Amino acid sequence: MKVVAVFVNLIYFLLLAPFLEGVMRKLTAWIQSRKGPPLYQPYLDLLKLLGKENLNSGGNWAFRLAPILSFSSMLAAIALIPLTGQANILAHSSDLMTLIYFLTLSGFCLLVGALGSGNPFAAVGASREMMTTVMLEPVLAMLLILGTVRIGSFSLSAAVSGVAVSRGVSYFLMLVVYLLALQAFAARQPFDIAEAEVEILEGPYMEYSGPNYALLRYTLNLKRMFYAWLLVSCFLSFILPANFLFSLLLQTVLIIVVFILISLIGATHPRFRIDQALKYYALLLILALIAVGLAVKGW
Amino acid sequence: MSRKEELLNLLKDKLRGKFLAGSSLEDKRLFIDIKKEALVETASLLMKEGARYQMGVGYEAKKNGQGLAMVHTFAFDADSLLVAIRALTTEDKPEFDSLTPFIPGAGWSEREYIDLLGLHFKNHPNPKRLVLSDDWPEGIYPLRQDVPYDLMPPSAEEVAFRLDEAPPGSSIIPFGPFHACLHEPAHFAVYVDGEEIKGCEYRGFMVHRGIEKLAATELTYNEIPFVAERICGICGSVHSVNYAQAVEAASGLKIPRRAEFIRTIMLEIERLHSHLMWLGVAGHLIGFDTVFMQAWRIREKIMWLAESLTGNRKTYGMVIVGGVRRDIDLTKADLIKKTLSEVEKDMLALEKAIIKDKAIHRRTKGVGYLSREKAVEWNLVGPVARARGLDMDARRDHRYAAYDEVKFDVVVADSSDVWGTLVVRIKEIYEAIKIIHQCLGKLASELQGSPLAIEIEGSIPAGQQGLSVVEAPRGEAVHYVLTGDDNRPERWRVRAPTYPNLQAVPDMLLNNKLADFPIIVGSIDPCISCTDRVAVIDRKTAADRILSRQELEKLSREVRSKT
Repeated sequence: MKVVAVFVNLIYFLLLAPFLEGVMRKLTAWIQSRKGPPLYQPYLDLLKLLGKENLNSGGNWAFRLAPILSFSSMLAAIALIPLTGQANILAHSSDLMTLIYFLTLSGFCLLVGALGSGNPFAAVGASREMMTTVMLEPVLAMLLILGTVRIGSFSLSAAVSGVAVSRGVSYFLMLVVYLLALQAFAARQPFDIAEAEVEILEGPYMEYSGPNYALLRYTLNLKRMFYAWLLVSCFLSFILPANFLFSLLLQTVLIIVVFILISLIGATHPRFRIDQALKYYALLLILALIAVGLAVKGW
Repeated sequence: MSRKEELLNLLKDKLRGKFLAGSSLEDKRLFIDIKKEALVETASLLMKEGARYQMGVGYEAKKNGQGLAMVHTFAFDADSLLVAIRALTTEDKPEFDSLTPFIPGAGWSEREYIDLLGLHFKNHPNPKRLVLSDDWPEGIYPLRQDVPYDLMPPSAEEVAFRLDEAPPGSSIIPFGPFHACLHEPAHFAVYVDGEEIKGCEYRGFMVHRGIEKLAATELTYNEIPFVAERICGICGSVHSVNYAQAVEAASGLKIPRRAEFIRTIMLEIERLHSHLMWLGVAGHLIGFDTVFMQAWRIREKIMWLAESLTGNRKTYGMVIVGGVRRDIDLTKADLIKKTLSEVEKDMLALEKAIIKDKAIHRRTKGVGYLSREKAVEWNLVGPVARARGLDMDARRDHRYAAYDEVKFDVVVADSSDVWGTLVVRIKEIYEAIKIIHQCLGKLASELQGSPLAIEIEGSIPAGQQGLSVVEAPRGEAVHYVLTGDDNRPERWRVRAPTYPNLQAVPDMLLNNKLADFPIIVGSIDPCISCTDRVAVIDRKTAADRILSRQELEKLSREVRSKT
């Protein structure tokens, strides 16, 4: 059963992630008085891209391999997670550091690919992505450390379920921080700075085409869904029922709600400049540190 | 003594023998001929008197055996006066003194004629190629009369524009010729240090279509308005009205009052369309697509309205020399009123959302700052100038069409940045609506049954100068017409508002962030085709032939019969 859980993780994420993008696009369209594409459009987009040609415009192996590495790192991270609070077989050989490691690796591969493309816009995008990662990864780490502090174990399921064990000041502070960071984790407006179409033409993605581009898009979808899942299972774990199927169902509904939130914020904000965003991230980081400090004190 | 006579006397007095002639058919215009040695002296005299530089016009006056001519035009906004000074030089020594050292805004006007007429400008600080394509051969000057309008020199492969070196410590990010934030081809080599902009070089004029040359060789007076309208896809009426006004001025034609009101209405509908479009684009440029979509939804109503009035969503085709082609009757007037009230309502809601949005403030306030002094120095026009506290508007300062009979406010802001241009444009939408309502009132009451156009009687005498300005949505557009033989102008020069505004963009960009590049360039609402409008059929591509209409029709019929 614990082996099957790994595959359940992967299939659940792979199947649902493009649909969530569809939700986002539909809602954004409604806010903008448009009809918007059907909800299944992202699946068609991915299929279409998979059938197209890979252009190796970077001309080197780093550029070629980056998408598949980024995608597989993301999948590795997802394979580890306790989907409905239950640890799977990989839990024996991993802890929360492994998760953070794979997530960072996925982002890092995208940077390598962007720099490998030799495109100046991709380079600007990569440098923005790098700054964002440096500021945001610690916020993620703080969240999981909060859970660890509560339970006293480095295991991933402990870290995730630990956050909401007792709902004191630190819980609420961390919830606020996470909600404020959500848009940045999801790389949506106002924090789609690294892609910024009108400035740097999708930045790191610019030179990619065909299946490689499909993989990068898929990775982005998975990443967004991961952060939405994390919000639900860290902060709302206490309302999820014990039954696996019911729990999964409720979780899915909640993830869709999170995506609705992301779309609403995204459609009503202009993009930040990187300097403005960095100041914002710094504030989040300080607040997250305070939350962990409070948790250590037992608040 | 009027201001015009004052200036005339001053110039006569100061220039003495170098003053050749001064003429003015019209009330608000002054055309002066001087010796070329006095060019700099005259220009600096005028600038000292408070003039604003508009543009330079170069042409070959060979027909009259006069050699090459250079006209510079100046505006006295407070006195509703336009002054043009003209000097001639011989073909064997085609040299003038440059005005650019003390009027930076004259830089392009002079560089243009280095390319197109082979003129030399002594002391020009940057006599680089401006208009012609990179592979255009040296020594062929397209605006010279012996160069045919359809001349196509063979294209060359290995030539490239020599961009300046980036300053030490910075790297170049190329924006253009095709980039998502530029809606027409233009190239900005932006020097950046990290994310900070340290300067930029502009290379444009990639879409010139030779319209002026075409007008001087192939078209007739009455055909040009329709070509003029196609100079710009957004402010088409501005150019057709402007051209018509210049010809009417040169020939002393007085058009029916009703036509002037209809022209005014069309100009203001065009302004509504343009500002709404800009608002949408601006939203898109700062990554705020909801503003983009909502503004364009409102704009769509204006396009439907235009279609019901003229048959076209854009490029109205309403203007001819001597008047307009279609009437706006009472049913149409009702339709306009209905549409405008909807637009006003939607716009108020959108404005409320924009003006209060802190995030928009963060992306626009203090961005693209250019001081009022610099704005004067670069002769900025339109909302870009008004956002910098310059209270100028050709509709009020140089009244034309029916603007002398309507009441409206000139919107001015003083924040000198992108935010200022945003505010000015939004407020101008309401002013435009106000103006249209007043015009409709007049059409319905006093001007019933008046004719729409009058014919020119006989032919227009050659050698007359006409100068006209129209406040386009982007600022003042200037047209200069010198009448010629063969029922066509000898020289017709168009200066779109982007022409001066674009020259100041490098100054606006300085020390801003790279992320602000799109909105800063966007804040002048650049219209590249208008600016690049000049000279000669210039097909850079390998395409060696363009199908004639007959060929196209034949082809399409063949295809149709096959299927």
